[in-house]
Amino acid sequence: MQQQQEHTFEFTADGWEYFRIWIVNLLLTVVTLGIYSAWAKVRRLQYFYRNTRLADAGFEYHGTPMAILKGRLIGAGLLLIYVVAGNLNPVVGLVIALLISAVMPWLIVRSLRFKLHNSSYRGLRFAFTGSDRDAYRVFLLFPILTALTLYLLAPFTHQRIKQYQHCNSQFGTTPFDFSASVGNFYGVYLKVLGMMFVLGILAAVLVAAGLPYFLALLPIAMLFIGIYLAVSLPNLIWNSTSLGEHTFYSRMEVRPYLWIAFTNLLGIVFTLGLFIPFADVRMTRYKLEHMGLLAQGDLAEFVAGQEQQISATGEETAEMFDVDISL
Amino acid sequence: MTAALYFDGKTAAAHPVNLTLEAQTLLLRADGIELQWRLSDVQISERLGNTPRLLTFPDGSHCEVTDHAALDAMLPHRRDWLDRMQHSLPWALLSAVLIVAALLAAYRYLLPWGAEVLAQRAPASVLQQMGRSTLETLDRFMLQPSTLNAARQQTLTAKFAALRPLPGADMQYNILFRSAPGAGPNAFALPDGTIVLLDELVALTEDDNEILAVLAHERGHVEHRHGARMVLQSSAVGLVIGWYMGDVSSLLTTIPAAVLEAGYSRDMEREADEYAAHMLQHNTLSPCLLTDMLNKLETAHQPNETAASQPDAYKVMDYLASHPATGERATLLCPGSR
Repeated sequence: MQQQQEHTFEFTADGWEYFRIWIVNLLLTVVTLGIYSAWAKVRRLQYFYRNTRLADAGFEYHGTPMAILKGRLIGAGLLLIYVVAGNLNPVVGLVIALLISAVMPWLIVRSLRFKLHNSSYRGLRFAFTGSDRDAYRVFLLFPILTALTLYLLAPFTHQRIKQYQHCNSQFGTTPFDFSASVGNFYGVYLKVLGMMFVLGILAAVLVAAGLPYFLALLPIAMLFIGIYLAVSLPNLIWNSTSLGEHTFYSRMEVRPYLWIAFTNLLGIVFTLGLFIPFADVRMTRYKLEHMGLLAQGDLAEFVAGQEQQISATGEETAEMFDVDISL
Repeated sequence: MTAALYFDGKTAAAHPVNLTLEAQTLLLRADGIELQWRLSDVQISERLGNTPRLLTFPDGSHCEVTDHAALDAMLPHRRDWLDRMQHSLPWALLSAVLIVAALLAAYRYLLPWGAEVLAQRAPASVLQQMGRSTLETLDRFMLQPSTLNAARQQTLTAKFAALRPLPGADMQYNILFRSAPGAGPNAFALPDGTIVLLDELVALTEDDNEILAVLAHERGHVEHRHGARMVLQSSAVGLVIGWYMGDVSSLLTTIPAAVLEAGYSRDMEREADEYAAHMLQHNTLSPCLLTDMLNKLETAHQPNETAASQPDAYKVMDYLASHPATGERATLLCPGSR
């Protein structure tokens, strides 16, 4: 049995440094009426990837602005068609919405391929191998069933989506694996449901006791529950994800996350948005520095051990999927 | 000499190497590795803050360099304007100012221009749909059926129909009679050529020609596609604000758009006034009719304004009367009236 070693993600970004990059990119985006946003996205991702370090090596983003621009134009076109059609005639709007949801799974697969193919660590690319057929099942069939069952199936669908994404991803030639069960997802969602139930009873009691002013605290309680979900799900998802024989972990907690989210919101509102880059860096730092990899044996050794397999793959199917969709 | 980590692109192993430059050739040396590349074949990633820089080689392998000072000393680098801008605090602050200036300029000049170009080309079916949905909303929340008798309605409709249109007019008009006791006297045009005339406005004057003057003004809004332009402008403002504030809350986005686009702009009111004046003259009527009517409307609205207790919904209907500077408009329309 090899010894287990814990590697935590490090995030070396600096708010002021990112602010300068962000604001110059925002200016160029405004001046070019949004065209430059594709270049800005590449710079933002490169800044965040290169500042993300694991076991003394950084990540790299390889996406090209032209591919992203193409994807954005497609996305903007779809949105425009939907908005205009919806305003003209509800029936036409519905038909367009149906057509868009019919191509959406296909687009999501292209987008996942693009994102993973253009991410690398230690010179090795990630890859996504999910099939269109499975994508239609998890991104179209299951959501429809979920809606038909009044969202009773929501945790099931969520589990299937994450399983599809993680089980079809690989680093070099090493596949990721995902072990969280449908039961685990129902566990998290049921806890949230329980909290909302208790909250509802509490609210009813307060009203009955003639203290309706305490209901003003209700949004804060809802925010707390929302953050609980935003923390528990990534924790569950990453604690159930492994790469080869190495497992990931995520140990975020509700209170510090709530504090960062709340102060970020205040900062953004009171600086009219100038705090956005600082907020991004703070939140990403919290998430990444509470995540890591439990490596079986030395990570460097393991990685070197993959040499044979990977050289057999040869060149990746390079720029075939050069479309990036993010709606 | 620069320390770097070499990755061959086939395995994830990191090899510590030393980089040196000799006569435009980059040499990589370490235990068991000795590689060289022509400098012109090496792709050097742009500086991005203090992030490691990547030297990518033609075979897909790369070096990661964290020692920026050593790399800068070794490579004859030139920093382009973008690189300089992204790393300078003065440029960051200047950018913040320029962004605000650019957004204001776009809002003031580009947005009205773009909306006008699009609105003039909007097909009739689009205008009809805009008109229909607006009327449905107004009927549901603000308007009540008119109490004017049918004969009076017909008289006014017939008088408006008998007006000779200005050359170039291409819209079909339809006058609808409604009542809105809480909102005060008013009339407004929908993008499809529907003009809603409130009983309260009809009751304000004995002279039908003054009502025709108001209808001509509303007709100006329709012919200039002001309604469609406002719809397009507020949608665009909503989109941009939504994109920028997207991280905060979608709730915040709808409010500013509604506030910014509460009514027609002054320029639009002036255009509609001019249109009305031309149309009145074209029918040998005096433009002063509109001035008189505007004054009556302003007086009628004053008690309401001071009460300041109007429900928000009614403010949408302030198109015609409560727009500021009625006096200024009067002198333009009817010189010598004051």
